[in-house]
Amino acid sequence: MTTVIARTVTRLVVPIILVTAVALLLQGHNLPGGGFIAGVLATTAFVLVYVIQGLEYLRTVLGIDPDSPFEHAPVAAYQAILAAGLLIAFGSGLVPMLYGTAFLTQGYTILHGVPIYGELEVASALAFDLGVFFTVVGGLLSIVAVVGTE
Amino acid sequence: MEPSRAVLFAVVFLPFLSAATVPLVYRVLGERTAYYAAGVAAVCLALLGSQFGTEGAVSIAWIPALDVSLRLYVDGLSLLIGLLASGIGVLILTYSGGYMHGEPGQPKYYAALLAFMGSMLGVAFAADLIALFLFWELTSLSSFVLIGHYQRESASLYAARKSMLITVAGGLFMLVGFLLLHLVSGDVAALDGPTYNLVAMLEHADAMRAALREAGLYVPALALIGIGAAAKSAQVPLHVWLPNAMEAPTPVSAFLHSATMVKAGVYLVGRLRPLLAGEAWFLLFVSLGLLTMTVAALLAVAASDIKELLAYSTASHLGLIIAGFGFTEFAGEKAATIGAETGGFHILNHALFKAALFLVAGIIAHEAGTRAIDELGGLRRDLPITAGIAGIAALGMAGVPPFNGFYSKEFLFEAAYYAGEHLGGIGWLIPAVAVLGSVFTFLYSIRFLMLFFGDRPDALGHVHRPPVAMLAPPVLLAVLALAVGLGGVTGTLGVHLVPVESFLTRVFESAAVGGGGGHEFSYKFPTTAKPPVLMSAATIALGAVSYPAYGRIRDGIRRVLALDPLRANWYYDGAVEGLTGASARIGPRVQTGLLRTYAFWALGTLSALTLGAYLAAGVELSVPESFTATLPIALVLAVAVGSALAVARAPSHVAGVLTLSILGFMVAIFYILASAPDLALTQLVVETLLLVIFLLVLDRLPAFYGEAASARSFRDGLLAIAVGATVTVTVLLTTSATPERGIASYFLERAPANYGRPGFITDLGGGYNVVNVILVDFRAFDTLGEISVVGMAALSILTLIGMRGRGEVRDGAEPSEEGKP
Repeated sequence: MTTVIARTVTRLVVPIILVTAVALLLQGHNLPGGGFIAGVLATTAFVLVYVIQGLEYLRTVLGIDPDSPFEHAPVAAYQAILAAGLLIAFGSGLVPMLYGTAFLTQGYTILHGVPIYGELEVASALAFDLGVFFTVVGGLLSIVAVVGTE
Repeated sequence: MEPSRAVLFAVVFLPFLSAATVPLVYRVLGERTAYYAAGVAAVCLALLGSQFGTEGAVSIAWIPALDVSLRLYVDGLSLLIGLLASGIGVLILTYSGGYMHGEPGQPKYYAALLAFMGSMLGVAFAADLIALFLFWELTSLSSFVLIGHYQRESASLYAARKSMLITVAGGLFMLVGFLLLHLVSGDVAALDGPTYNLVAMLEHADAMRAALREAGLYVPALALIGIGAAAKSAQVPLHVWLPNAMEAPTPVSAFLHSATMVKAGVYLVGRLRPLLAGEAWFLLFVSLGLLTMTVAALLAVAASDIKELLAYSTASHLGLIIAGFGFTEFAGEKAATIGAETGGFHILNHALFKAALFLVAGIIAHEAGTRAIDELGGLRRDLPITAGIAGIAALGMAGVPPFNGFYSKEFLFEAAYYAGEHLGGIGWLIPAVAVLGSVFTFLYSIRFLMLFFGDRPDALGHVHRPPVAMLAPPVLLAVLALAVGLGGVTGTLGVHLVPVESFLTRVFESAAVGGGGGHEFSYKFPTTAKPPVLMSAATIALGAVSYPAYGRIRDGIRRVLALDPLRANWYYDGAVEGLTGASARIGPRVQTGLLRTYAFWALGTLSALTLGAYLAAGVELSVPESFTATLPIALVLAVAVGSALAVARAPSHVAGVLTLSILGFMVAIFYILASAPDLALTQLVVETLLLVIFLLVLDRLPAFYGEAASARSFRDGLLAIAVGATVTVTVLLTTSATPERGIASYFLERAPANYGRPGFITDLGGGYNVVNVILVDFRAFDTLGEISVVGMAALSILTLIGMRGRGEVRDGAEPSEEGKP
C-alpha cells in the first residue's frame, strides 16, 4: 500500500482532513459537526498516516517512551491525549459549580463588535466538546495502535 | 439539648479523611503511624464526649431529588456504640503499634482500620435508612480488607470472601426490609409521604407498626431486617464467617468482635425495637438469640485454638444480647423492660471483657508463638500482668460474681424467668435454655483462664514479656470492667456508679417501646435468693461440677460435629463449591477462544432475553398502516438491501468488507435524505474508520473463506434471522409509542441562541444544531458517561494486549513481529 502515489496523496490530504476536523469541532454548535465527529475524523487522518507511512514516521513525529510495553506504538502519547480529554470534559463540568449552578451547566454569551465576525457567540459548551474530541482521538488511536501492532 | 452538627459530621467523616492521608503519613512516620491513627480515634472520642448529654438529629441534604439526606441522630444507644467504637479504637490502634511491628502492608492496614471505625461510627449515628445501609455495607467492605490482610495466605482469603459473601448478602436482605419500611411510611398520615427518615419513623412507631400490619408487611419486613442483623451479628446458622475471621491480625479481631461489625447487628435490633416490637419479634429474636447462645457456646467448648474459642464465644454473647432485646410486651411488661436493659448493659460489658480477652490472646500468640489450647498452660509465671487481665475478663465472661458479665447475665435470667412465668407451659423453656447455654459459657471461660494456671507444657519455649504498647490497652479495659463489676457491690451498699447507670438509662430509653416511661436503670449485687440468683448459682454449680469432665464433653461435641449435615460450614462450602464447579464447566463451552462462539452466545442471549421479555410483557406490535417513501429513499434502500445480500455471497474477506461498507454508506445517505446531517456525518466517518481498520486486520487473515459446513451455515443463518427480528421488533415497538408533542419540541424551542439578550445566558442552549446542543448541554452528563466508556474500552484493550504480550514472553516465545505494515 506504500506506493509513491499513495504517499504523495496522503501528504496532501491529511492536513485537509485535520483542518476539516477542527472546523467541524468549532462549528458543531450551530452547524452539523461536534466533538465526536471531529474526533473520529481526526483519528482517520492519523490512521491514514499510520497505514501509508508506517510506524517509524509516527514515532519520529510524536516521540515515544521507549519503556512502554507497546514499544512499537506511540501509545503513551495517545494515553496522555485520552486522559487530557477526560480531564477537560470533567473539569469543564466543575467550573459552573464554582458559580453555584449544577454540574455541567452550559451557557453562552454574545460578543458584539468583533472584527470580521461582527457578532460572535462564545459558548462554554465548546470546552466540553473539546474534551470529547480529545477523548475520542486518544481512545481510538490507542486501540488502533495496539491492535495494529499485533 | 441538641447535638452540634459540625461536631457530629466531624466524628463520622474524620476517620475517612484520615484514612486517605495514611499513606502519606506513613512515609514520614513509618511504624509510628499507629499512634497517629490512635490520635485520630482519640479526637473522635473526645468530640463524642463533648456531645454527651445531647439528644436529637442533625442533617444535611444529600440526594434531595430522592428525599435522601445524611441525617445523624444522637441518643443513648447510638452514643454507646459510638463511644465504644472510638474508645476501643484508640486502644486497638495503640496496641497495633506493638503487635504489627515488622508486619507487611501497614499503610493499608491502618487506612482500613480507620475506615472501619468511621463506618461503624456512621452506622451508630446514621438515622436515614439509605445512609445507614451505606455505612453498614462499608463496615463489610473494610472488614473484608482487614480479614484478608495476609493476602498471600489462602485461609485468610477464604475467610475474607466468606465474611463478605455472608454479611453483604445479609445487608441486601436488610435493604429490601428498609424499602418495605419506606413504602409503608407513605401510608402513615403523620409522616407526610414516604420517607427514609428513621427518626420520624421512631417518633410515630405505633402508627408505623399499625400501617405495616395493615399492609401485611410486618412479618416480611421483620424477617428481612432480622436476616441482615443475624448475618452481621453472626447468629446461627449464619455464624460461620465469624470463626474464620480470626485469620485477621489479632487487633482487628479484637475490634471486630468487641466494638464494631458484629455490634452493628445487635445495634440495629436495639434501634428498631421500638418500631417493630411485637409477638413475631419476640418469637424470632428470643429463639434466635437463645439458640445462638447455646450452640455457639457448645462450639466454643469444642474449639482447639484460643482465638477460635473467643470467636465462638462472641457469637454466643451476641445471642444473649439479641435474646435480651427480643423480650417484648408479649412476654409480659417486666420481661420487656428488663430485656431492653439486658441488651444495652451486655453490649457494654461484652465489649470491655471481649476486647481485653482478644488482646490477651494476641499477647499469648505473639509471645508464646502458638494459639493451640493444648500446647499452652501455666503462663502466669511468664505473663503475670496478662494473667491478671485474663482473670478479670474471663470471670466476667463466665458470669461469676462480682465481675461485670455477671450483672448483665443476671438481667437476662430475670427477663427469662419473668417471661416463663408470664407465658407458662412451654415458656419455661426460655429460662431453662438460658441456664443451659450459660453453663457452657462458664466452661469455656474457665478453660481460657486455665491457660495461665496448671502445669507448663515442656514443649513451650521461652515466653517474652509484651511491650508496653501491647499491655497498656488490655490493662485499661480490665480496670474498666472491674470498675463496672465493683459498681454493683457498692450499689448494694447504697453507693451507685452514677455515670454508668444514668448512661445506661438513656440506652434503655432508646431501645424501650414508647421511651421507657421514666424507668431508671440501676444494678446491684443481689442479697436475697430470688429466682434469677438461684439460676446463676445453678449455672456456676453445674459448670464447676462438669469442668473436670471438660475433655470428654469436648470430644463428645467434636464427634457430633463430625457429622457433616450438622455443620453450617458444610452447607456453605457445598454451595460455594457447587457454584464454582458449575461456572468452571460452563466457561469452556461459552468461551472457546473462537470469535464465532463468543458472537453466537452474546447475540443469541441478547435476542432470546429481549424477545422473551417482550413475550412475557405481552406487548402488542403495531405495524404502521401506511408507509410512504420518496424515490431517492427507495433507491438508496434498495442498494442497501442489495449489498447486504452481496455480503452473504462474497467470495473473499476483502470483497465482503467492501460490500458491507456499501451498506454502511447507503445508510448514511438515507440519514441525509431524512434530514439528519449529524447522524450522517457520524455514520460516514465511523464507516470510513472501520473500513480502514478492517483492511489492516484482513492483512493477517487467509484471503478466502473455507467451505463452511452446511449445519453451521444453517445455525448462523438462524441466529442472523433472530437478531434481525429482535432489532425490527424493538424499532417498531419503541417508535410506535412516540407521543404527539414529544420532547423534541422542547429541545427545538430551547436550543437556539437568543441574540437579543445581553449577558451570560445559562437557561438556553445557544446553538442551532439541536443534536449537538443536546449532547453537550441538555444531556451532557450522558455524554460524559459515554466518553468515559470510550476511555475504559481503550484502557481495557491496552491492558488485555499488554498482559498477553507478557504471558508470551514468559512462555519463551517472542511476541509476534508479523503483520507490521
